[in-house]
Amino acid sequence: MLKITSEEIKLITKYIYDISGIYLDESKKYLLETRLNAIAEEQGCTSYQDFYKKVKADASKTIERKIVDAISTNETLFFRDTGPFQLLQHKIFPELIDARSTKTPSLKTNLKIWSAASSTGQELYSVAIVLQELLGDLSKYAIKLLGTDISDAAVAQASSGKFNKFEIERGLARDKLTKYFTPFGQTWKINDQIRAMVNFRKFNLMLPFAGLGKFDVVLCRNVAIYFTLEDRKKLFNKIADVLEPDGYLIIGSTESLTGICPRFIPKRHLRSIFYQLK
Amino acid sequence: MNTMTILVADDDPVIRKLFEKRLKNAGYEVTVAVDGIEAAKLLDATTFDVVITDLVMPGEIGGIELLKIAKEKSVDIEVIVITAHSSVNTAVDAMKKGAVDYLEKPVNFDELFLRLEKIAEVKALLKNAGDLREAMDVTESSAAQTIQDLEIVNSNQQELLDQLEAILSDSRNDEYSRIEQALHLLESR
Repeated sequence: MLKITSEEIKLITKYIYDISGIYLDESKKYLLETRLNAIAEEQGCTSYQDFYKKVKADASKTIERKIVDAISTNETLFFRDTGPFQLLQHKIFPELIDARSTKTPSLKTNLKIWSAASSTGQELYSVAIVLQELLGDLSKYAIKLLGTDISDAAVAQASSGKFNKFEIERGLARDKLTKYFTPFGQTWKINDQIRAMVNFRKFNLMLPFAGLGKFDVVLCRNVAIYFTLEDRKKLFNKIADVLEPDGYLIIGSTESLTGICPRFIPKRHLRSIFYQLK
Repeated sequence: MNTMTILVADDDPVIRKLFEKRLKNAGYEVTVAVDGIEAAKLLDATTFDVVITDLVMPGEIGGIELLKIAKEKSVDIEVIVITAHSSVNTAVDAMKKGAVDYLEKPVNFDELFLRLEKIAEVKALLKNAGDLREAMDVTESSAAQTIQDLEIVNSNQQELLDQLEAILSDSRNDEYSRIEQALHLLESR
């Protein structure tokens, strides 16, 4: 395996930060080596200095995409910790639907939900399943579920709606599996009805949020932990800008907004916390 | 030490006996079934790590049907299908439907043992990943509870500070009454 020097660590971590906002310090030497080695060897590099030069010279940005795919952590599962999904099902969605329902039967109730770091899609599909179970007939609703992630590979897998048996086994109850998935060779494919509710695209959370519109619910779970404190502040400030005044923010269960964004206040429902604008 | 439990389904008594003997000698726990129907009944009653099944068996339940039954019972059950040389296409079809591997007749047991070891390795890794995940979940939920409690406490304190600030800087009241109101607010909490 190609060894990385401390000078090279500085160079590469700075580069990774610039392209993704993911902040790695020098203690992450092992992580860098294990995740980048295959790409560096594939490029025929003899050192990480050499690797850096090749990456910077690659106008097609193919290597850059591979690095983002390799360095981003795609740890996710269906209904990852049950709290937020119960929160959505029993509190947030009923409240939102009450608030958004129109008096005119011909007008559809609008709902816009954003999974800001959607990884391979499990979170957003779980949200779609919750909505389907809660609302039944969706024809009266105009629901937009957007999933974004920095990794092309993650976005591509999420869009395919296909999951292997290890991904399926984790978190997904048997009844939901048979109801919402169809075996597809060695994988399971999410049913078209659920697939049609969601959209995935690549997006870097470090960039401005212009053009995203406003959301009723933003899920931003377990991604800010990879950012610096300063970038976390900027991120949640931007999220506050794109959240409807009565919208809801859900962050990771071990995350906190204390000292990060005073525009949000935490509220507790059962064993979960959500945030709303002050 | 091989600790996997294996169910063998084959209607040929000679082959069945051979499987039983060789697998037992290798240390596996073996159960045999005379056809797909008996195998399905056994799967209904108990579970196995691996099912080795002939593709063609008499009765309503052939190898493909048994594969389906096993996978419906649990995706953790790995199925190896045994096929005649002439029906490799069916075996490939079985793999598309979730079989982990196929072996051609006559069965080469060295080959089978290698495949079983691989399956055991993957199962061990999966168990390890599952254990780690479990440990992480416990740590995470305990940390989450602490953090969420602190988050609420902190938010309440902040609210109190904001109210105190408003009272103390309210120029409509004199200093004495501002302090009195502030103390009253603190006492009422």
